[in-house]
Amino acid sequence: MWRTVAERSCVKLADTSNKLENVFDDPRKILANSLLELGNKNENVVYISVDSSLGAAGAPFKKAFPERHFEFGIAEQNAMGEAAGMAISGKVPFIAAYVPFITYRCFEQIRDDVCKTNLNVNIIGNNSGFSVSSLGPTHVVLEEVAVLRSLPNMNIICPADGIEYSQVLELASNIKAPVYIRVSRIKSKRVFKDDHKLVFGKADVVKDGSDVTIIASGTMVSYSLEAAYLLEKNGINAEVISMSTIKPIDKDMILKVASKTGKIVTIEEHSIINGLGAAVAEVIVRNNPVPIKFIGTQDEFAPVGTYEECIDYYGLTAEKIRHQVNNFLKKF
Amino acid sequence: MTKLSNEELKELVRRSYNCRINILKMMRFGEAHIGGAFSSLDIITLLYNKILRHNPKDPKWADRDRFILSAGHKCMALYAVLADQGYFEEEILWTYNTFNTKVPMHPDEKALPGIEFPTGSLGHGLPVGQGMAHIARLDKKDYRVFVMLGDGESAEGSVWEAIMSAAHHKLDNLIVIVDRNGLQVNGKTSEIMNTDPLEEKYKSFGWEVTTINGHNFDEIYDALSLVPFKKGKPSAIIANTIKCKGLPFAEAKFEFHHWHFSEDEIDNAIKNVENCCREELCKIG
Repeated sequence: MWRTVAERSCVKLADTSNKLENVFDDPRKILANSLLELGNKNENVVYISVDSSLGAAGAPFKKAFPERHFEFGIAEQNAMGEAAGMAISGKVPFIAAYVPFITYRCFEQIRDDVCKTNLNVNIIGNNSGFSVSSLGPTHVVLEEVAVLRSLPNMNIICPADGIEYSQVLELASNIKAPVYIRVSRIKSKRVFKDDHKLVFGKADVVKDGSDVTIIASGTMVSYSLEAAYLLEKNGINAEVISMSTIKPIDKDMILKVASKTGKIVTIEEHSIINGLGAAVAEVIVRNNPVPIKFIGTQDEFAPVGTYEECIDYYGLTAEKIRHQVNNFLKKF
Repeated sequence: MTKLSNEELKELVRRSYNCRINILKMMRFGEAHIGGAFSSLDIITLLYNKILRHNPKDPKWADRDRFILSAGHKCMALYAVLADQGYFEEEILWTYNTFNTKVPMHPDEKALPGIEFPTGSLGHGLPVGQGMAHIARLDKKDYRVFVMLGDGESAEGSVWEAIMSAAHHKLDNLIVIVDRNGLQVNGKTSEIMNTDPLEEKYKSFGWEVTTINGHNFDEIYDALSLVPFKKGKPSAIIANTIKCKGLPFAEAKFEFHHWHFSEDEIDNAIKNVENCCREELCKIG
């Protein structure tokens, strides 16, 4: 039996709870609805399943547009090549599966057939990070952003909450290039207001601050926000940035916050090797070297456990983020 | 059987051998995968001259038939045929092996008109071609997708994923041509990884299959004129070919998969090819 928690826990924000709504969204439900909406809006959108329609938000689309839904079975190399063939024929394919199968198994097809040709193939990596932590290292992938980030023409988006999940598919469909969308299975805590607009390549300030800047992506944005409110109790005013587009990274925002607070902490549910933190550091060291701390998973295959156990092990809970940021600032 | 007239046959022989000579001239600029280029050349010549619905003046014509050379290293054959068809000036061929050339050792769709898709790493062309074939059906277009594979390439797992999928989806607008020259980089395909019997394998996966002599224009024309062999099934043409066909001293030798040569060897090879062409034309009468 799976021990994966369906919802993440959250810290009790006694006197600050009004600042962060306790609304949780199921990314898959949101994606399923928005894929259906996108199918109605854009007749060129096609969906490719590798025995993944039900689990990967494709079922309503399949029902509404059976002729635009393609089932290619558990054969990802063929499926990714087919996606490229469809894209070069004028379609906008979405292809989804568990992260390892839709990135690593068909990696050369992504590189040669999708990236080299710069086609708008939209790859949805489901159950990212520790979403299915009890399934073990074959299914828990914490390095795919590192690998995909190094491919020319690849773009990477990692939505922070339900508001962003509801916009990411249409956004990706309008990017005339390959897009990797990193999707968590864990219900995401609402970070943004209803009127928030997810903009490709642009980061968002989700909390102002002057002492340190926390830059996070995906699931870690809400944890970082909780940590920032906890830090207020320590007299630390932390700024929190949501970096939903990991590639291309928002250099202007990074340089702005580097000048402003002069201290940066990056947080990701991903290896600290060549992920969000590395992307931020590349901008920092080339332009305005300021101290930077990387919080994420380490150079190892992660232990098996529940979602909470795993993120706790790597110091990714709000309380542990608070502790690490606090210690980081003691150095100055 | 669909027959070509003697004049048509002579024209095809002249064109295919002229392409072989152009490939050798390109090789003055550097070594090349000549073996597969020469084994596939007669089929590619016939495709572009007699079968494909295409327009060299409008390479992206929406209703064109698609040809994907999955075994991308044979691309010198495709370059020579595309130049012969008027897709681009022949002078481009003489930039082979120079910096930023439009005719690299593996084809680049952005560099050269007429290249449908970049290939090079083996086992990629058939999945991509199938994606195109699915969209032809979805968009209710009648263009067909022809994909050429090598017999050595057929050891790739992705090829069999695609073969399984095409039959499952009843893609009868998809045609595979296997250039079965029996040799690969290190020797005989039968000894390195035997991909035969390809006919039985394709059949058991649900394809309609025919076997031809890939250097007999009548047989190539006949097979390609009859596709799809059966409604609701993808078609496979297994073409028995001779590696380096048309260059007698190199024929059927795996060492000529990729040829390292000296300048005077090229001159000699061109004379050999010219002789072969004359002999072929004499046979037709």
